[in-house]
Amino acid sequence: MKVLLVDDSGTMRTIQRRCLEKMGIEHDDITDAADGCKALELFERFSFDVVLSDWNMPNMDGLGLLKAIRNRNSDIPFFMITTESERARVLSAIQLGVSDYLVKPFTPDDLREKLEKWVSVTA
Amino acid sequence: MSTAAIATSSLTAKFANPLIIAVDKAFDMLLGCRPQRTGLTFKDGRMPEYELSAVIGLTGKAVGTIVLSLTRQTALNVLYRMVDVETQEINDDVRDAVGELTNIVAGQTKAQLEPLQLRISIPSIIEGRDHVIHYPSGIQPISILFDSEIGAFSVEAGFKDSQLA
Repeated sequence: MKVLLVDDSGTMRTIQRRCLEKMGIEHDDITDAADGCKALELFERFSFDVVLSDWNMPNMDGLGLLKAIRNRNSDIPFFMITTESERARVLSAIQLGVSDYLVKPFTPDDLREKLEKWVSVTA
Repeated sequence: MSTAAIATSSLTAKFANPLIIAVDKAFDMLLGCRPQRTGLTFKDGRMPEYELSAVIGLTGKAVGTIVLSLTRQTALNVLYRMVDVETQEINDDVRDAVGELTNIVAGQTKAQLEPLQLRISIPSIIEGRDHVIHYPSGIQPISILFDSEIGAFSVEAGFKDSQLA
């Protein structure tokens, strides 16, 4: 499974990458980006099975990235990983086609549970 | 204290319990430690308790600032606990880890105060002794002091009704 991991915090990218690797996803199958613009460039150049994106980021935020990806007629599973749990903001992401969201802080089991609803995660 | 000052202090005080709950959750899940609260006061000055501050602005029906203030050693321990990286200097990795921790504390606080419809900014990090935090005018911030196995820190916050800002 190829994952596009987007977060402006290097610390959070490291934490999430380790969670994904513990699930059995290969290091080289995880590509990361520090903002939505860079992530969109990667999305257009390479093939991915799932996108995990932070919400608040400079340049292009998670909502902007979600919109840009859905505008390209992609139905790739897109997970928002965020501190934002406010109902109105979550609803705006649902309207734009987010697959699911996870509120920080979360455990590796929380991430696995969300992912397994949409994609096959190897043990 | 004037009526306006009491009103603004009352709004700031509403953040105390949500902040404590947010700190407990974030420190437990991200750092594996359970901080002990050692004090809660309204501050007279604008200087934070310790030499490194992560500052996040919030806007909505209230406007103000949340600050995570840490000793240098606590900040180094935050990085180590989050990603197992050891360092002796306050570098970009330490600043990033402390900023993200503060972002999560602010997000968890905001989630408990949904009627205020708050939005949070990207965190800024300020280093050095005797630095000053600027809160909205007329605000007396609260300071919640903690001790923990990774060291001492405090959370400070000051808020004003956005109609009065």
